[in-house]
Amino acid sequence: MSETVLHQHKWIDVVKYRWVWFGLSLLLIVPGIIAMIYSTITYPTHFPVKVGIDFTGGTITQYTVSKDVSNNEVEKIRTNLIKAGIENPVIQILKSNNAISKAENIKPTTVISVKTAFKSNDIKAEQKIGESIKADYPDATLVQVSSIGPSLGKELFVNSLYALALAFLGIVVYLSFRFQLDYAVIALVSLAHDALFVLGFFSILGIFFDVHIDALFITAVLTVIGFSNHDTIVVFDRIRENCRFLTKKATFPEIVNASVNQTLARSINTSLTTLITLAALYIFGGETTKDFVLAMIVGIAIGTYSSIFFASTLLDWWRERKEAQKNSPVAKKQTETAKV
Amino acid sequence: MKNKKLMFWIIVALVIVAVVAIVKKPTKLGLDLVGGSRIVLEAQTTDTIAKITPDMMNSLQFAIENRVNALGVAETLVQQTGEKRLLVEIPSISDPAKAKEFLGETAELEFKKPLDNSDGATGWAPTGLTGKDVKKALISTNPGGQWVVSLEFNDKGTKKFGKLTQELVGKPMAIFFNGDLQSAPVIQEPILGGHAQISGGDTGFAYEEAKKMVDLLNAGALPVPAKIIEESLVGPTLGADSIAKSKTAGIIGIGLVMIFMLLYYRLPGFIADIALIIYSILVFAIFKVVPVTLTLAGIAGFILSIGMAVDANILIFERTKEELKAGRTLFTAINAGFDRAFTSIFDSNMTTIITCVILYFLGTSIIKGFALTLVIGVIVSMFTAITVTKNFMHLLFGAGQLKHPGWFGIKQSEIGKAYEATETKKEKAKFGILD
Repeated sequence: MSETVLHQHKWIDVVKYRWVWFGLSLLLIVPGIIAMIYSTITYPTHFPVKVGIDFTGGTITQYTVSKDVSNNEVEKIRTNLIKAGIENPVIQILKSNNAISKAENIKPTTVISVKTAFKSNDIKAEQKIGESIKADYPDATLVQVSSIGPSLGKELFVNSLYALALAFLGIVVYLSFRFQLDYAVIALVSLAHDALFVLGFFSILGIFFDVHIDALFITAVLTVIGFSNHDTIVVFDRIRENCRFLTKKATFPEIVNASVNQTLARSINTSLTTLITLAALYIFGGETTKDFVLAMIVGIAIGTYSSIFFASTLLDWWRERKEAQKNSPVAKKQTETAKV
Repeated sequence: MKNKKLMFWIIVALVIVAVVAIVKKPTKLGLDLVGGSRIVLEAQTTDTIAKITPDMMNSLQFAIENRVNALGVAETLVQQTGEKRLLVEIPSISDPAKAKEFLGETAELEFKKPLDNSDGATGWAPTGLTGKDVKKALISTNPGGQWVVSLEFNDKGTKKFGKLTQELVGKPMAIFFNGDLQSAPVIQEPILGGHAQISGGDTGFAYEEAKKMVDLLNAGALPVPAKIIEESLVGPTLGADSIAKSKTAGIIGIGLVMIFMLLYYRLPGFIADIALIIYSILVFAIFKVVPVTLTLAGIAGFILSIGMAVDANILIFERTKEELKAGRTLFTAINAGFDRAFTSIFDSNMTTIITCVILYFLGTSIIKGFALTLVIGVIVSMFTAITVTKNFMHLLFGAGQLKHPGWFGIKQSEIGKAYEATETKKEKAKFGILD
């Protein structure tokens, strides 16, 4: 029976090529880490990724228009602003009941409010916004330019990191209780592998394409972590189960190989269904959520890779090293003396 | 089989209840999705505060954030703008009039004693005991059945209050809130326990009045008085254009997933699709009943939970297919498939739940919303995978040998080839044990 269960010719021998996977993982992660170090040192914000208005604050500019601006026109305003070189503008239409301009005796029906990351002393950026809006609404009058603080302070960010660290600890405790400590630690390593890749990916995008992350990015990373952990546990669960039934018939590397292959269809199909939804959101969805969706796509792809090739082979490598240590002459001597 | 039919009707009833809840209850959408009100507050200088410093603005922002949280509004935006203004954006789900009332109040609580009457003047003198010394405020009723505000002082406040009441035995002590005299009871005996009550004078408080005072006291006073200088309705922060597009995109995405499931898993895929629809109805109903304010972060949590719900089905089907290929009968294969998939569903979901609970209690705004929707989604997904999918599979396929392998997307030639078919006893198969 074990012959057919453990060796099917279509299977991928993940364990055999483990150095290929480890090398590939390094290749995927190291550039991102370099980019993050570079960003932390060179950016004025000292964040490993380029952060947007949510973290840094910026400027709020408001224009009154006599015409009623419908929410559908927001898209046009956004496209024009981006064309004029204003990045990630937060555009909101205000229906004011007692606007600032009341004192100035203008009767506006609508206010176009634009929040951007530039600092309020940047007159050029202010002009660009003005020109871009006036092209569509000739009677637009500038009523307010003022600085605006971050909606997500550094304190909040640090707080979230603490929460996350504690959540990781929770995962390790639970998994070492349900599995074993080494499974738990490796699940965490593989989770860090995926999170680091996403962060690094966006750090690189920040350097070369000036992509700024917003508050939603944090949620995207959390989603990736959740997914990655889920994936890894499914493979580990199979290894645990196979160990129970097959330990006497097969070696640990054989069990790992069998488990990965048995869960392969599930791993690919689950990721595929999630990626289908995300791809639809990326292609057909709104402009403001594109980076958020991209972060999840990248993260789920790497999460699937790491659960198939990285986490399982790392577990096998770890077990092999432990075995080797146990069987080494020094260790043998120790156990012998212990017996005496 | 009787049990199965009963379960089927329970599921139907649940779905009906959920649909009613969805129709009856309003959807609560966050600021990023529907917009709300924008209120601009300006810090005011007073006799004692000559200039507004950045430090004052920071503590004002903190105090306002606390107040908005006390209102129970999810994900409100509070930002400093200019040198002495705060821009507050509140989702339209909350009552803007109430929010306005909350934001403008300084909420200064003061205890005062009578002026020394040596020069004949009447009035009240400050005692140094203020709202800062209050640890907690509660709403309660006095023996007369009137609404009162009960205060519990912190250690420092307890000492101050004890000393003050000792000093004032036989004399009145006045309680001022926002500069208005609330009541001035005559102190009968020293109060050392650190508890005090504010009654609304002879007429008493209306419930709303007492409730508001309690909420404001618990949220803390503003370090500087602030005035609302501007108020307007504001569109969603994510842009109305983006949201409309993403809605369509989401529907396309879920439609594609359903087609994929149908093509790959055939008849079980069809069951998974129905389970997915039931799943979405149940989760959405819970969102409305709790109620959860949906923001994009929350929707991300929901999408992830859909992924996990689909995954539970995929896990079960893959295991069932393996069992069928091993030549087991339908009934045994379905049961064994479920039991063997369950440990991985359980463990992966438990870690997600643990993570969510920690993130919910320790995280802030955006992370809280994410954790809440995800945890609801994951719990419901375990329920639908185990009850809905399993129940429908049994009802649809019944027992006996698999006559149409194509229903499961497997070929006749694959059956029995995986390993030698041995019939497992039903009792054993229930626990996923193979011979």
